[in-house]
Amino acid sequence: MATSFGSCRLQRYWRWGAVLRPKHDQQPLRLAAATTTSASVNVVLIRTLTRKVAIVGSGPSGCYTAKYLRAAWDKNKEDGEIDVIERLPTPYGLVRYGVAPDHPEVKNVQNDFDALFEKEGINYYGNVQVGRDVSIASLREIYDAVVLATGCQSDRRLGLEGEKNYSNILSAREFVAWYNGHPDFVHIGEKVQAALGGPIDEDKVRDGVSVVVVGHGNVALDCARVLAKGGKGLYDTDIASHVLQVLGNGVAHVSIVGRRGHIQGAFTIKEVRELVNLQEEGFAVSFVVREEELDMGATKDSLEELESAAGRPKQRINKLLRSAAAKKLDDNQPKRVDLRFLLSPSSWEPSADDPSRIEALVCERTRLEGHACAQRAVGTGEFERIPAHLALLSIGYKADPMPGLENHFDFERYTVRNERGRVERPLDGRLGGLYVAGWLKRGPSGIIGTNIPDAKETVASILDDLGSLEKWNEREVDLLSLLQEKGIQALDWGAYRRIDEKEKMHKRAENQPREKITDMKELIKTALHSSA
Amino acid sequence: MIHRIAQSAVILRRIKPPGGVVVTPCYSIWKKNVPHQFDRTPKNAQTTTTTGIRWHGGSAVGADAPTIQVTFIHPNGTDRSVVDARIGETLLQTAHRHDIDLEGACEGVCACSTCHLILPSAMYDNLPEPSEDEEDMLDMAFGLQETSRLGCQITVTPEMDGVELRMPAATRNFYVDGHKPKPH
Repeated sequence: MATSFGSCRLQRYWRWGAVLRPKHDQQPLRLAAATTTSASVNVVLIRTLTRKVAIVGSGPSGCYTAKYLRAAWDKNKEDGEIDVIERLPTPYGLVRYGVAPDHPEVKNVQNDFDALFEKEGINYYGNVQVGRDVSIASLREIYDAVVLATGCQSDRRLGLEGEKNYSNILSAREFVAWYNGHPDFVHIGEKVQAALGGPIDEDKVRDGVSVVVVGHGNVALDCARVLAKGGKGLYDTDIASHVLQVLGNGVAHVSIVGRRGHIQGAFTIKEVRELVNLQEEGFAVSFVVREEELDMGATKDSLEELESAAGRPKQRINKLLRSAAAKKLDDNQPKRVDLRFLLSPSSWEPSADDPSRIEALVCERTRLEGHACAQRAVGTGEFERIPAHLALLSIGYKADPMPGLENHFDFERYTVRNERGRVERPLDGRLGGLYVAGWLKRGPSGIIGTNIPDAKETVASILDDLGSLEKWNEREVDLLSLLQEKGIQALDWGAYRRIDEKEKMHKRAENQPREKITDMKELIKTALHSSA
Repeated sequence: MIHRIAQSAVILRRIKPPGGVVVTPCYSIWKKNVPHQFDRTPKNAQTTTTTGIRWHGGSAVGADAPTIQVTFIHPNGTDRSVVDARIGETLLQTAHRHDIDLEGACEGVCACSTCHLILPSAMYDNLPEPSEDEEDMLDMAFGLQETSRLGCQITVTPEMDGVELRMPAATRNFYVDGHKPKPH
């Protein structure tokens, strides 16, 4: 048998096939052909070049992009390889490290995403950091399309004087990552513990301790609720064990402050309702909303917002807060959460004993001005001092540009400039094949489900471009060989499943969904099943 | 030798490379060339715990249950799926049984708004009021209408025979709804 492979190269994904066809039929196309000189049959061994797409980041945006790309290909009876590359050993981003431990049903989406890797043939490469282990440029050599879905690794700051230097001002993002057991944030526990007054017995309430949370979004309310419930109140959840002796049975006082009114609040009603119901659910926490602050927030223009098309959720929140404000305060509860409005952080007050820490946040009372849906907070010159042993800033996550992407970054919205998910400027002299999805694309807003239309839009752009590609990447290498060359140990899906199984086995409480492994070395050791 | 392999080739799947030539891979012989990196162990079944955390929405209704007919109108407004719905199951379960693309991110436990459906007014008015939890989730639904409900919270009853359920137009993109990309 004479075989001739011409200029083709051995590639990881071969598809061998035999086609019976008349010998005179010479359709070249993108096939590496080996032919026999058989009389009546021209048998061709072919290699097909498969479309390959890489998705950087395995959070909701990355997973939904993978899901809808696969679905679109299936519907069009097309095929391709999808590789999801994740920096951490474990997938799912904020679903695992952001969603609060007492919201386990929200994490059910993980089962949907598991199916991508277990049934849909999507490949998982964990423990690989794009930008450090492999560059975007190398990925673009291998893949026809690269989707960046890396989300936000940083925070917005208030920028008040001295803010960076105080040891007891943290971002909510860090605090949430810490209580959710993120391996890169274990060290935050020391800071929280020091701020709150040292280690404490798991059953004891931190009496006399105050925390101020700045921000009016769901993350702020989550932080307040976790602080109020304490490790004890969350014992049966997947909250990290290292939280138990730091939060104890909750802190005595949490104030949530924001500069605009309750109608502008970015939180959703479910989270507000949870705070309202804390007392009746037995967490010994009273929830306080001041009627006068609700009245001050009920300006003519704000009330117009209630009547607008998007007003339904706000109307229900307004009603809920009004009824909460009308209830008589139960002063006998050991813990209390105050939801404050129309207070704009003005300055940090350093502690007299230790100037490296703050002991209060001074806020200026504001009033609302401007049109409906554009109400601004304007200072009134009156100030209020809110004591705080710990301050958490929850005023927005923020993306930072990956090395090399600075020219593509919009530093006002903290996103990569894109048009329907397509990065339209050339990178390293090359245009095309680069996309974004999720928070990196539209900014840090929305819920898990917001990524559904977002991902569909990016996938539509990818399919449009793949359909009009004149020639696909002639790939010399694939990702795995590239990583092996550099000595990077990528963790595949089986490796993650080992972590998953171990977390479900070694639980502190029967009702826990899992006990998260928080040490990076242990995560990798478990994944590789090594005894080293 | 190749001739013999060709003769015994088992056609398992037809794939279509861009050039348009249909080639038929012989998976049975060359399977080892297709790497399977994923573990095929089935996901753990989860049950309701004593803390009342909801894991899965609705128990499956057996195939012998009486059925009615419902129509799902797809997000593009034109495609329709006329399917049987079993009495006692939820509309989300009906959709999933028939592979209709209705998301159920939280698996039907009223913790998201992705199974959002728009009902005909007559049907909406005759249903029991949504729970507070459902209303809270509906607040976040994309394209909320007066007669919106969550598919996972509506149980199929005989009175629903013949209803048309609209899936909200969450996206105006056609590519993921079956449109063929332009030929290159």
